[in-house]
Amino acid sequence: MRSSKRLADWLDSRTGFRKGRSHLLDEPLPPGVGWWFVSGSILLFLLGLQVVTGVVLTMYYVPAPEYAYDSVRYIVDRLPFGAVVRALHFFGASFIVVAAALHMLRVVLFGSYRKPRELTWMTGVVLLLIILAFALTGYLLPWDQKAYWATIVTINIARSSPILGEHVAALLRGGADLGALTLLRWYAAHVFLLPAALAAFVIAHLYLMRRHGISGPITGVPGQARPFYPYQAFRDTVAMAAVFAVLLTFAFTVRVPLDAIADPSDANYVPRPEWYFLSLFQLLKYFPGPLEPVATIVIPGLVVTGLLLLPFLDRRPDRHPLKRPLVTGGFAVLGLGITLLTYLGLKDSPAHADPSDWNLLSLAGQEFIQDDRCQSCHRVGGTANPLADTRLRREPEWLLAHAQDPEIIAPGLRRPPPGGMTPSQGRSILSYLRKVRAGGTAPSNVGPELRTAALVYGRWCANCHTIDGEGGNQGPDLTHAGKERDEQWLYDWISDPEAMDELADMPAFVDRLTSEELRAIARYLAGRR
Amino acid sequence: MISTPQDRRGFFATATVLIQGAIGAAVAFLMGAAVVAPVFGRRRESWLPAGNLDDLFDNEPTPVAVRVVREDGYTHVVDRQVVFLVRNGPQVTALSSTCTHLGCRVSWDAAAQVLKCPCHGGVFDRTGAVKAGPPPGPLAAIPTRVEGDRVLVEL
Repeated sequence: MRSSKRLADWLDSRTGFRKGRSHLLDEPLPPGVGWWFVSGSILLFLLGLQVVTGVVLTMYYVPAPEYAYDSVRYIVDRLPFGAVVRALHFFGASFIVVAAALHMLRVVLFGSYRKPRELTWMTGVVLLLIILAFALTGYLLPWDQKAYWATIVTINIARSSPILGEHVAALLRGGADLGALTLLRWYAAHVFLLPAALAAFVIAHLYLMRRHGISGPITGVPGQARPFYPYQAFRDTVAMAAVFAVLLTFAFTVRVPLDAIADPSDANYVPRPEWYFLSLFQLLKYFPGPLEPVATIVIPGLVVTGLLLLPFLDRRPDRHPLKRPLVTGGFAVLGLGITLLTYLGLKDSPAHADPSDWNLLSLAGQEFIQDDRCQSCHRVGGTANPLADTRLRREPEWLLAHAQDPEIIAPGLRRPPPGGMTPSQGRSILSYLRKVRAGGTAPSNVGPELRTAALVYGRWCANCHTIDGEGGNQGPDLTHAGKERDEQWLYDWISDPEAMDELADMPAFVDRLTSEELRAIARYLAGRR
Repeated sequence: MISTPQDRRGFFATATVLIQGAIGAAVAFLMGAAVVAPVFGRRRESWLPAGNLDDLFDNEPTPVAVRVVREDGYTHVVDRQVVFLVRNGPQVTALSSTCTHLGCRVSWDAAAQVLKCPCHGGVFDRTGAVKAGPPPGPLAAIPTRVEGDRVLVEL
C-alpha cells in the first residue's frame, strides 16, 4: 500500500496527473443537469468504439479491388468474432448518426447554442459533417455491388455541381474511372484523414464545452453545483451501457448485409444508399435534369449554412423552445422533411435477391461440378484448386468458355470440342461459383423434385432464359413465370411449343425430357410468382 | 443501506467504475479474440501427388517440388515445397528439404553422397540423420504412400 502510494506520488510529481484527473472529473455542473445531458458522452463512447473496431478491421481488410471483397468475406465468414466486429462497426455508424441527431436536438431544444457557446455549436456541426463523411467513405470499402453502385451515384452527384463538378468528381475518383485508385483514396480518407479531423474537432468541441461549462437546464434550478464525478458520470455510464447493450444485441443477432462482389457490367442493379442518406437520395427524384443541383447542392448547402450560423441568427435571450418559434418550427420542419423523405425512400427501395440464397441454377451448378470433366483437375493436389475454394477471378465469358472447353486459354478462338458442358451448364457452374464466393453454403435439404427441376433447368433452359438476373436473354425472363401461366400450361408448352403456337421459337422437349422431368420443371416455374 | 451523502457518492463511484470496467472487458474480449484467433489457425494437411515410382533411383534422394495450395487469410496461395524422395525397392520415404538448424534449403551432393546445407555447413545422410555441423536434429520425415506407380506425400 505504502509503496503504491509512493509510486503514485512520484508519478504525480513528474506528470501532475492528479491535477489533470481532478480537472477532468471534478468539473462543477449546474444543479438540474440530468439524463438530458448524457447524449454527448454516448456519442464520445460510440466514436471511441468505432476507432477500436476500425483498427481491428484494418488488420484484415485489404484496400484493393482484387482483394477487398474477399478480405471482408474472410472477416465475416472465417475470422472468429469477425462478423461481430464488423457488425459493431457497421451498426455503430448508424447509432452515431442517431446519437448525433439526438444530441443536436437536445442542444436546440435547450437553446444551448447561444452566446457564448457559438463556437461549441459550430464545431459540433462540423463534427456531424465529418461523421457523415466517415459513413460515405466507409461505404465503398467492402467493394460489393451496393458499395460500388452507391459510390457511382455519389460521385455523379458531385459531378452535377456547377463549374467545378467534373473536377471534384475526378478528385473523388482519383482518375477517369471508379477503381483501385478510388478505393485507396477513400480508404486513406476513412482511416487517416477523417480520424485526424475527428480527433481535432472532438478536442476543440470538448475544450470549448469545458471552457464555457454545461449550459444546464432551461430554467435555472436552485441548489449547489455538483462535480461531474460520480453523479453525472454515473448517468453517462448507465446510458453508455444501455446503448452498448442494444448495439451488441444488433451485432449478435442481425446479419450485416454483404452483396455480391462489385460488377461494373451489371445493368440490373438499383443502388440504394444507407438509410441516413436516403432522404437526400429521395430529394433528388423531385429535381430532375437541370434542376438536380437544387437537390444536391442548394438545399443541403442552405441547411448546413443555416445550421452553422444558427447562434448568430437567433440571438434573443429566451431559451425556452416555445419562445423561439422560428428555430423550433424550423427544426421541426427539417426533422419531419428528413423523416418523410426517408420513409418515401424506404418504400421505394426494391428488394434485392440475397446473393447467398441458392437458386435453381446454382443448385444445378453444384451437381455439374461433381462431373469427372471438372474433378480430374479441380481437386486437392490437382492441377487446379478445388472448385469450392476457387475465387472467381476471371470474367464470366472466360468461365463460360472454360466450362465448355477447359483446354482453351482464350475464349472464342475455336469451337468447343464435342463432349464438353453445354453453355447452359456453364452458366450453372458460374452461378454456383458466384454463390460460393458470396459465402453461401449449399442447402442440404433439396427435395428430389427440386433437384430434378434444377438439373433440367441447368442443362437446358438457362442459356436462353433468366431467373433472378442470371441466365441468357433470348427467351422470356422466367422470374415470375407462375404469375401468368399455370403448371399444366407450362408442361404442355415445354413439351411442344409449336403445338400451341405455330410461330414459337422454342424447341420441343418432349423427346428429351421424361414426363417426371417435365412435371418437375413445370411445377417449379408455376410456383414462381 | 445508502444513508449519508458520502455513501451515495461512494455507491455512484463504485457503480460507475464497475459498469465501465464491464464495458471495457466486453470490448477487450471481442476485439482481442478477433486479433488473436488466427494465431491458433492450423493448416489442413492432405495427400498430394509427388511423382512416379519409376522416376526414382534406389537410395538416391531425388528432389521434387510439390504444389501445395495453402489458405493465406482471405486468399489461397500456391507454395512449391521441395521434398526429397528416397526409394528403397518398393518402399519410398520422403525427407523435408528444410535444414533443422535455421531453415535453409538443403541439396543433394551426389559426389559426397550427402545432403548439404549451404548456410552453416550442416550435413545429413540419405536417411536425414545429422552427419556434421550445427543442425540440432535430423531432417523431418514426411509421411508417404505408394499407390500403384504414384507416390503421394502428406503435406
